[in-house]
Amino acid sequence: MRSWLKMFKELTIRPKGERQIRKSPSYSSDENLTKPLSGQVVKEILSKSSDVVFREFFLQGKERIPCIVAAVDGLVDKNLLDQFILKPLMVELVGHPELAKVTLSNVVDITLQSLLPGLEIKKISKMRDAVDAILSGDSVIFFGNLTEAIVIGARGWANRGVVEPVTETIVKGPREGFSETLRINTSLLRRKIKHPALRIISLKLGDMTNTDLVVTYIDKIASPDIVSEVFRRLGTIKMDSMQGNAYIEEMIEDNPYSPFPQIAFTERPDVLAGKLLEGKVGIIVDGTPIVLMVPVAFMQFLNVNEDYYQRAMVAILSRFVRYIGAFVAMLAPSIYIAVTTFHQEIIPTDLLMSISAGRQGVPFPALLEALIMTVTLEILQEAGLRLPKPIGQTIGIVGALIIGDAAVKASLVSPLMVIIIGLTAVASYAIPTYDLGLAVRLMRFPMMILAGILGFFGVSVGLYVILIHLLSLRSFGVPYLSPIAPMRIRALLQDTFVRAPWWALKRRPQFMDVKEPRSGGKR
Amino acid sequence: MERISPHQFMTLGAAVLMGGTFLPLATFVTAAGGRDGWMTVLPGLAVGIPYGLMVLSLFEQYPQQNLLLISEKIFGKWIGKILGCLYIFISGYYGGILLAIPGIIYEQSIMQFTPRWVIYLGSLLLVLYLVKTGIEVFARFSEVVFPIVAIAMVLNIGLSIPRIEQGELMPILSEGLKPLLFGALKVIPFPMEYILFLAGILSFLPTGKQELGQLKTGVWRAVFLVGILDTLVVLIQILVFGPAETIRLAFGFLVLGKMVEISRTIAGVESIFLGVWLGVLVIKCCAFFFMTIWGIATVFNLKGLKWNVAVSAVFLGIAFGIANRFSLTKEASFMESYLILPLATVWIPTLWGVSRWKDRDGV
Repeated sequence: MRSWLKMFKELTIRPKGERQIRKSPSYSSDENLTKPLSGQVVKEILSKSSDVVFREFFLQGKERIPCIVAAVDGLVDKNLLDQFILKPLMVELVGHPELAKVTLSNVVDITLQSLLPGLEIKKISKMRDAVDAILSGDSVIFFGNLTEAIVIGARGWANRGVVEPVTETIVKGPREGFSETLRINTSLLRRKIKHPALRIISLKLGDMTNTDLVVTYIDKIASPDIVSEVFRRLGTIKMDSMQGNAYIEEMIEDNPYSPFPQIAFTERPDVLAGKLLEGKVGIIVDGTPIVLMVPVAFMQFLNVNEDYYQRAMVAILSRFVRYIGAFVAMLAPSIYIAVTTFHQEIIPTDLLMSISAGRQGVPFPALLEALIMTVTLEILQEAGLRLPKPIGQTIGIVGALIIGDAAVKASLVSPLMVIIIGLTAVASYAIPTYDLGLAVRLMRFPMMILAGILGFFGVSVGLYVILIHLLSLRSFGVPYLSPIAPMRIRALLQDTFVRAPWWALKRRPQFMDVKEPRSGGKR
Repeated sequence: MERISPHQFMTLGAAVLMGGTFLPLATFVTAAGGRDGWMTVLPGLAVGIPYGLMVLSLFEQYPQQNLLLISEKIFGKWIGKILGCLYIFISGYYGGILLAIPGIIYEQSIMQFTPRWVIYLGSLLLVLYLVKTGIEVFARFSEVVFPIVAIAMVLNIGLSIPRIEQGELMPILSEGLKPLLFGALKVIPFPMEYILFLAGILSFLPTGKQELGQLKTGVWRAVFLVGILDTLVVLIQILVFGPAETIRLAFGFLVLGKMVEISRTIAGVESIFLGVWLGVLVIKCCAFFFMTIWGIATVFNLKGLKWNVAVSAVFLGIAFGIANRFSLTKEASFMESYLILPLATVWIPTLWGVSRWKDRDGV
């Protein structure tokens, strides 16, 4: 019993004020990593992997020095390695006056200073650094039994390049999106913000995966408290595997049991740049095109970057359409259930007659009818996602037209219910953020049950519970419902419900603590 | 320590002051002041302003302490404790009555067949959730809900304009000024409830000099905002129903909601309005829940989940004890006129006066 309780506690309760900290396991190879740096030991550690290649040769200086170049086949740019490392050292520099001075004691310094070209080249003296560098795609040169080595940045692997992101397509605006390669992503960001205050700080996470990630922010704008909190939370993560953004997201967010997303994500460099300029902090993880951004407020999930590329009035209209979409996506089935079950007096008589006629022969109460249809919709959506694209579309058409029509003809559901569920499905696609869309889908079910049991009273209670929950959430210390509560009128009228023209956007979002609140914007 | 901003103080104060006042107010003031009853609402509520300023003046003198602690300091331990016990009793009992209001109005209007205890439990769930999340979230909740309530009231009033019969308001002041005095007396207990809430929330207010000025402005704003809204509510009922019918209808504003018809298509939107009113009723009930637990924590140094559960049980017990609308009105009037009004009108000025006297004489 006690062990069950302990397990339950471990699974559910996180220590207050701290992130979940797990003790990192130790692996047998870790012992080798603490030994003094040596090419032979590195070879011992990595030679069992067929993709790691070791090229041994002699450097003919004042002394004949045995060298090993280690790299991972597939991660390193072979051409670069051959042309700019092996060829100079083995062929081109033979007889060079500088090479003639080389002995085992000065080989590292002379090689660094005079022999090898290249921008990313540095000296290391730790075994772990050497192994990490090789496995990350760099090349390392070991000299004899020296405890120092040289790392040369010669990474080069196949990547899918810069393409338009699938999840954030826009009509008017840049088309480039992040990719799975960290450095491509940082370069895309750097192209957007050419200012020395842009900080890109590298970290590694995951004991086994050794995943590279960078924390990026603008030093002159981002709040130092938020930046240090991001580092603190990232620093407490101890896990074997760090395969992508979702791992980090759950480990650093404030309330992991909330259905509502507390960390924003994007695949677009322009969005990240815009958010960094608002004072947010970005987290770019190698191996995923998704970039995380913190802190975030609820209303920002309903805004899209295209709002800033459109004229202000058009953007305002689009925003209101999205708000209505989110409202309909969450509440349309519940309102239908509440009205048809409890509050028929709201419906005009003609419509009431037509609803009654449509429901004739339907054996289920409105709640059950709506649940059946909503679950069917969820199944169709899930199936459409998993199936190959052409078949997925077919499934959508089959589900919507054939099953819906057949269900109405068989008197399993009323025609109005099919319309309501169809409207709900369409409205849910108006929610621009996938995570928020999922939360809305999830909330729809308890709201429907409450409406079925208690009518509008149940809907009201459900809405107030959701509101209190949202009010109690924070994202890195920032109240989640800002700037609605705590209320900031200027922020509300500047860039929340409406989007003021660019010349009027003189301040960064006020609900976040930023170093420099003014952003210009004067005409 | 949780803190609320001056703006939150204003909206929370306004929401607590409003509470469910807009539902029975028209009946009370029209019964006492006749067709001129609407004129008594704002002056009656404005009585709360000097009291509010007195409370804030005491807060300035004794920062980060609620009025119960200040009373213990000024009057001595035992008188302070007795006042504290009275405060707990009043807030606990009146809170239970407030919990009964949603049950009774839902039962009377749109959910006749739903057991009342379900409504009580639903409302109590919201109150407990707010209490659990703390005063900051409660203040933010009021920041969101109060504007919605104000908009819904204006909508309800606006949509009732086509039914106005101007003759109902005439002749103005036909009975002289005396009925206005009686009408105002009926309103005065409502600001006193707000003042008692203020007495408890003091320890969560900001203490800066500039913020103190904003808090004082917040009291004025809250009273005038609610005063104007409530005046409009009473006025529209008199104009639509006439004085006699306004007195007869206990919750006339709900009836107005029921009568709303938009272009002969959407009618009876009272169920939607009721959802909004539920929010403000929950705020007031929650305010009294907070007052009760603050009182228990201050006087007996007892706090925690089990005391919250105990207070919930008391609230539920009192709510269940109220049989119908008439006993609700009776109990609420008794509490307001014979306990809340005397306590606040005597306690606050006395405390303020003694503290000023002690301060001046260096006692």
